[in-house]
Amino acid sequence: MSEKPIKGEKRVFLTGNEVVAWAAVAAEADIMFGYPITPQNEIMHYWTRMAPRFNKRFLQTEDEISAGFTTNGGVLAGLKAFTATAGPGNTLMQEPISMAEMMRLPVVTIVQQRGGPSSATVIYSQQEVTLTTHGGNGEGMRVVYSTASHQELYDYTIKAFNTAWKYRFPTFVLGDGYQAKMREPLTIYDPEERGIEVVPSYKFIGGAGKPGVDRPPVQLRNIYNMEEELLEVLEEQFAEFGKISPDVAECEYFGCEDAEIVVTAHGVVARGAKSAVKELREHGLKVGYFRPITLRPLAVKELRDIFSKAKKVLVAESANGQLDQLLKYAAYGLTTEMVSLFKPGVGINSEDIYDKVKTMLEN
Amino acid sequence: MANAIKIVMAGEGGQGVQSVAEIIAEAANEEGKECLYIPNFGVEQRGGVSVAYVQISDEAIGAPKFNTGDIVVALSDRALYRTKQYVGPQTIFVYDTSINVPKEDLPANAARILGIPAVEISKNELHPRVFNIIIMGAVVGATSVISREDAKRAIEHKLGAKFEKQPKLRDQNFSAIDRGIELVTKAG
Repeated sequence: MSEKPIKGEKRVFLTGNEVVAWAAVAAEADIMFGYPITPQNEIMHYWTRMAPRFNKRFLQTEDEISAGFTTNGGVLAGLKAFTATAGPGNTLMQEPISMAEMMRLPVVTIVQQRGGPSSATVIYSQQEVTLTTHGGNGEGMRVVYSTASHQELYDYTIKAFNTAWKYRFPTFVLGDGYQAKMREPLTIYDPEERGIEVVPSYKFIGGAGKPGVDRPPVQLRNIYNMEEELLEVLEEQFAEFGKISPDVAECEYFGCEDAEIVVTAHGVVARGAKSAVKELREHGLKVGYFRPITLRPLAVKELRDIFSKAKKVLVAESANGQLDQLLKYAAYGLTTEMVSLFKPGVGINSEDIYDKVKTMLEN
Repeated sequence: MANAIKIVMAGEGGQGVQSVAEIIAEAANEEGKECLYIPNFGVEQRGGVSVAYVQISDEAIGAPKFNTGDIVVALSDRALYRTKQYVGPQTIFVYDTSINVPKEDLPANAARILGIPAVEISKNELHPRVFNIIIMGAVVGATSVISREDAKRAIEHKLGAKFEKQPKLRDQNFSAIDRGIELVTKAG
């Protein structure tokens, strides 16, 4: 066994991509498969720099379709395998991720969103929400964590591996180009020293004993002969996803008890929303803050409770309503007015949200 | 949102605004402050205007970018036109006097406008390669966001290995910080 990569707790000042690489090491990931695309490239760079020191592996494939399938293969071999991508790479990766969904493979994918559609910009967006939560030709049986700070990138990358291997649903950490490239302080740590269990990996196939005699045979399928056969498998998946959803779903909120307006945002935009709401409240204005941390599954109970009490909900996102769609589906039946601040592919600053809320309050 | 000191620095690729932004942010981090540094980046590998955003605060920092800076630094004419949008009535606007723009194109709404001859001084008195460190001194002098000592410590941290080989470099860099601070104090 190689040495423990992180001993004790350490305050560091890193880019988000470095943070992800460190977190993957801390989560005891074994191998990364990847294909370069901005703005996630440095995840690969830092991982490959650290990999030999900690007895870990890396394979660069010929494209993202292959990176996704090799990640599936790594998981089938019992390794904690992961990949990272963005934009058009995320599009290509939906095919192997659909397979992972069908076969219930605990693959972990880090997405650093860039502008879309197509190659658009290499910089930033929140336009990969629909793709990451519901991409592929399946039913969105995945867990998606949307991070807002480097501390969270670290915490939730570790958590993503644990969630994936505990529940066997493909799991994503949804970051963006800003988070990928910016630097800010955070504390890195060994999860076990903090009492966080690192869920171990296990072999899916090739286990001990004779299949059918010593143990039930393992049959992982992504193709079925009959319609009814498929439906039976899917219904089982839906039931299980529904069962784990309350345990997996996370959100954060404050100031919602008396709020006339609840500002809702996810990921990096939630940072601006949070500081704007804090300032508005300091001025005595009844404004609340709600942020889904998991975009799939959503914390539906809290969301409905908070939205139902508000007069208006302001949804701020760097996309043209991708989060909004998820929220409205979850809020179906409520009559709270939903107002939007959409800037697809462009950052939303604290001042933008502050000004928008002020205008809403005046009208 | 109101409590962070917000800095925008812009120049031509190669003028070193990103390194300076990073050193300032690292120095603030070393002081135990909250800080966030984000570069702009695009598809170009070289050339173009390079913009760096830094925020330093005692509290958690909000969005990585912002609409109005407390200090905005422009080191080329293109950088000036690109960064004017970040200037507001509270902003200290710093530019290098070697840049060739009509006076009326300088931001009219800034709290203070400081023209400093950093290019000239680095060329004639110090060394062209410490140009960006003079700018760093100007930012430190104009905002007091980090102390002179911390600024020097951060430079030592970043370039210490080079200083070991060429001790003269250390003196040049430290003089550049001092000169930068002096320039804005005098100009103010």
